[in-house]
Amino acid sequence: MNQQHIFRDFDKAIEALKGEVLTMAGLTRQNLERAMRSLLERDIDLARSVIADDADVDDLERQIDQSGIDILVRFHPVASDLRLVITSMKMAHNLERISDHAVNIAKRSKKICKSTMVEDASLTEPLYSLADKLLRDALMAYTDANVTLGEGLKVRDKELDQLHKQMIASLSARLEDSNGRSENLLHLIFVARSIERIGDLAVNIGEDAVFLGEARDIRHEHRRNSAEEGESPVS
Amino acid sequence: MVKTSTAIQINNLSFAYGAKQVLHDVSLEIPARQVTAFIGPSGCGKSTLLRCFNRINDRIPGAKLTAGSILVHDIDINRTDIDLQELRRRIGMVFQKYNPFAKSIYDNVAFSLRAAGRTKRSVLDGIVENALKNAALWDEVKSRLHASAFGLSGGQQQRLCIARAIANQPEILLMDEPCAALDPLATLKIEELLSELKKQYTIIIVTHNLAQATRCSDNTAFMYLGKVIEYGSTMQLFENPKEPQTEAYVTGKFG
Repeated sequence: MNQQHIFRDFDKAIEALKGEVLTMAGLTRQNLERAMRSLLERDIDLARSVIADDADVDDLERQIDQSGIDILVRFHPVASDLRLVITSMKMAHNLERISDHAVNIAKRSKKICKSTMVEDASLTEPLYSLADKLLRDALMAYTDANVTLGEGLKVRDKELDQLHKQMIASLSARLEDSNGRSENLLHLIFVARSIERIGDLAVNIGEDAVFLGEARDIRHEHRRNSAEEGESPVS
Repeated sequence: MVKTSTAIQINNLSFAYGAKQVLHDVSLEIPARQVTAFIGPSGCGKSTLLRCFNRINDRIPGAKLTAGSILVHDIDINRTDIDLQELRRRIGMVFQKYNPFAKSIYDNVAFSLRAAGRTKRSVLDGIVENALKNAALWDEVKSRLHASAFGLSGGQQQRLCIARAIANQPEILLMDEPCAALDPLATLKIEELLSELKKQYTIIIVTHNLAQATRCSDNTAFMYLGKVIEYGSTMQLFENPKEPQTEAYVTGKFG
């Protein structure tokens, strides 16, 4: 429903909050993209700038929390407004963690860049490509309160998990035959781990988008359903 | 909505002031010993509905129930043989503007008891003390029971009116914007009182203060243009309203 609030300041505050979240989402995704590019293109300066720019993301997380608290105190939001404020604050937390993973990747990239040994960092590219699509769609699910898109991320993340598992197996096998060039392989294993975690965080954002759209809490739904099915019937 | 026994059952109620139809086909079940709030914009019919429950609308010329019924504990209160005095004893009412009588604190609470012929001092003393305690006013007034009620603060006068209503040992308390004329702290005292009173009484409160409805009611009905648009648990109605009109109203998007 695109009706405006009678109290226009409320609309302004909500729009400002959404704007801050979208800015943070843009910066986070950009940090991740640059961290991966620094790894794939052995660009140490790019890795350094990712590490430096993480402070902006941290600042935005604090700013979004403050804006959310201000709206709660000032306007007492309910219904979809309340869900938007809560979801935005949770979103900021997830984005901050994604940016931290981008920093982890950038730090590994720096080490790989400094190494004289050439390792095939492009192995991580398909994994990143899949995680970035998940992240892109999670952000879109939040922006549009698109429940279908948000709900579908969990299944798509399983594909990422599978690819991650295969990649770790492949890197581990190489590690066994590494003959002293194990350090970079270990860095790549950690990079893969960070990318896999980013997929999980995108799923979290998707779950929050479902809550935003339909006030439905789908977190741990599978486990909860299993527990309910497992309950013995009351006679 | 938490289901308990039903205190008031409203079936397809329509109500008019002369030619002006103000309630249209209203059906609700008000659970016993819970707080139920009626919310909605001015003129939506929430006060009229409240005033149907003890039939004080009867005093307004031309006011009439045009269809449906109201059952209080399964008794149709619009039957012609209903004793209105007894109905209003069983269903007490507190109004927006506190309205104590120009009498002492004690006499305000004892007034309706005396009118009902209960004049024995020891009995009255016990009931007055109990009513004032239940209205969370006893400690503030016990040393000046025979002073004028007008010497009390606004919040105290409103609690005195609540004590006056519950001295009759009603089953149901109707409250028509009981905190509209009170400051925030006096409002909180009344709200705190509601959570105690609902252990003994069914409470129905009309309020324009949505935060108050969320704080102190168990169930909420949103009314608009004489109809109940949505009725459910207060948390559900304010967290995830089902009807777009409810969503627009509670989020402040209603024109």
